[in-house]
Amino acid sequence: MSFESVLAQARAEGRTLLTEVEAKSLLEEAGVPVATTTLARTREEAQEQAERLGYPVVLKVVSPDIAHKSDVGGVKLNLASREAVGQAFDEILASAARAVPGARITGVAVQHMAPQGTEVIVGMTTDPQFGPVMMFGLGGIMVEVLKDVSFRLVPLEEKDAREMIDEIKGRPVLSGVRGQPPADIDALTRTLLKVSEFVEQHPEVKELDLNPVFAYPDGALAVDARIIIDGA
Amino acid sequence: MAVPGHRLDRMFNPKVVAVIGDKGPGYMWLHNNLPLKERGGRLYSVQLDEKEIPGIEALGVQNFKSVLEVPEPIDYALVAVPRQVSPYVLKDLIAAGAGGAGFFTSGFAETGEELGIRLQEQLASMAREAGFNLVGPNCMGLYLPKAGVRFNVDAPVTDAGEIGFLSQSGTHGIMFSLVAAANGMYISKCASFGNAIVLDVSDYLEYLMLDDETKVIGMYVEGVKDGRRFFATLKEACRRKPVVVWKGGQTEAGARATMSHTGSLAAPQAVWDGMMRQCGAITTNNLDETIDAMKMLLRSKTPRGDGMALLAQTGGQSVSMTDAFAKAGLRVPRFTDATYAALGEFFNIVGGSYQNPLDMAGTIQGNMETLDRILRIVDADPNVDGMAMELSALFAARQWKAKPETLDRTIATLADHMARSEKPFVAVLHPAHEAEYVASIMPKFNDAGVPVFQSFERAAAAYRRALDFARRQGPSAVASSAEV
Repeated sequence: MSFESVLAQARAEGRTLLTEVEAKSLLEEAGVPVATTTLARTREEAQEQAERLGYPVVLKVVSPDIAHKSDVGGVKLNLASREAVGQAFDEILASAARAVPGARITGVAVQHMAPQGTEVIVGMTTDPQFGPVMMFGLGGIMVEVLKDVSFRLVPLEEKDAREMIDEIKGRPVLSGVRGQPPADIDALTRTLLKVSEFVEQHPEVKELDLNPVFAYPDGALAVDARIIIDGA
Repeated sequence: MAVPGHRLDRMFNPKVVAVIGDKGPGYMWLHNNLPLKERGGRLYSVQLDEKEIPGIEALGVQNFKSVLEVPEPIDYALVAVPRQVSPYVLKDLIAAGAGGAGFFTSGFAETGEELGIRLQEQLASMAREAGFNLVGPNCMGLYLPKAGVRFNVDAPVTDAGEIGFLSQSGTHGIMFSLVAAANGMYISKCASFGNAIVLDVSDYLEYLMLDDETKVIGMYVEGVKDGRRFFATLKEACRRKPVVVWKGGQTEAGARATMSHTGSLAAPQAVWDGMMRQCGAITTNNLDETIDAMKMLLRSKTPRGDGMALLAQTGGQSVSMTDAFAKAGLRVPRFTDATYAALGEFFNIVGGSYQNPLDMAGTIQGNMETLDRILRIVDADPNVDGMAMELSALFAARQWKAKPETLDRTIATLADHMARSEKPFVAVLHPAHEAEYVASIMPKFNDAGVPVFQSFERAAAAYRRALDFARRQGPSAVASSAEV
């Protein structure tokens, strides 16, 4: 999937929100570490893809009309067998259709379930005055409640990315607390820089969330991704 | 000094200035600009109103009825005509090839009225089309102390300017200039730019960063028009010299829908703060912080670390001083054994202490040789990155008043230390019960180049800002900003 073809497809369908599969594939091509995610249109495709990606897997509904997948029962975690994948596929379609009647459902995204890491958020938005802006923060409660995030304008230099990480109040969490190993700061830095490059090259991207990104002792992986493009 | 070839160079270094439309009985703008003559420039007036002309001529200023009649090319004009007349004046200034003009005239888009908005658009399009340097409108224009161009009659005329200042607000521009002068720091070039319909903060900033006369830049801004250009210009300016940004007002959130988590978290102030750090600017929240930051940048050596030696006069003050510096995130480390041994030879520990902080009044007893000895020992300690010393009006004012030479010797001792030491030094002189007297002796400190702050907290905050700036600049830039 080239950026142009995804953009054309989304615009043809009147969408500004790219699907998770589209978003991840574009980011993967841009060198951002993302959990490989494929689109299954049928129960059987979901099962085949799960076999190929390796258990356990996660299934998530793919629909241009559903922004918050877990709110509609559109996410099933930790599926460890062919049977579980099949059943989850059916349940997701049924509950999504119930929750958002008339929603267009493209299929289900299948993804190998990444091992838990320290959750961080990497994002980008378009400030009305300053244009594209990158954001970094710890995930989960730190971002929801404490708004412990830092900002820099695109394009980022390496120093900017490092400062964004160092600036958050929860920074010690990434150095390892309660016996946790420290997170790979270089990998997080590279992720920020790659996303900055990606949005700089594609001004059509208006907003972007990688939430969460799992930070590991060795590497980082975006397990969910949203990209919003301009409507033009 | 100038920036040859820059489009703002002529108006920032004017020889010929015209005041257009000033009115009696005060003739504020003519009075403001009278010093131009003693600085080797020529001041002209343009006024149609017959009954104003005698008053203008009484000031020794030649008046003309039209801009086009002024016999020399105008480098800078100050326009104070009614708003309806302003497009005609601008047309003449453009035709006369003037270098630029500050429009004191107000009543434009800031009123929200249709007429004001229309006139503003008219001025903007005329000036843009002609490439004319329009400052304002709704502003106090330029303050150029070297040329003798002023926006306030109390503003000094001087060659000692070091600070370039930009202000969206006329009052803040004037107030900063006057308070800086009271602290022994002078403006090189200042622009109050008001509605900024043609020249915006980035245009002025670009000039000041290139201007050799300007050692540090300060600005008061509420908002900027072209955010991306401001970002790029500020980043470049901060590479060249320290820039202190005092942001006023809450940045309003642009009306926009957001579909992302990031968008919902990107509060305008948070984005602004991130951009300031990215550029390497020094940020302040009010006039006092801005003055203090400037004083630290201009009068103290560049901080290279956060280890402070705190030299207090008494025990209670030594505790308060330590609290203030610690709260600013600075360390108060132990001295080396060699330092303790050297201080131990003469320090009076009955009612005193030479741990860090020092409690030293009982040891010094007014003897400046002892103070000098302490300063030398502490300065040599490798654990010490910077020094702060309390001067106490509570104890010293009585003696300084009775024997002014004791004050002079104190200042000389501190000035000698500063000339000798590679480490930043700040003095704190709380006015205590002697505010009027302390204010009266400040020029002595200013003249000696000793940076004095009015409280421990203000000294600590200024040190912190200078340290953060130096760390952002990295080792190479620290060396160059130390020359400032």
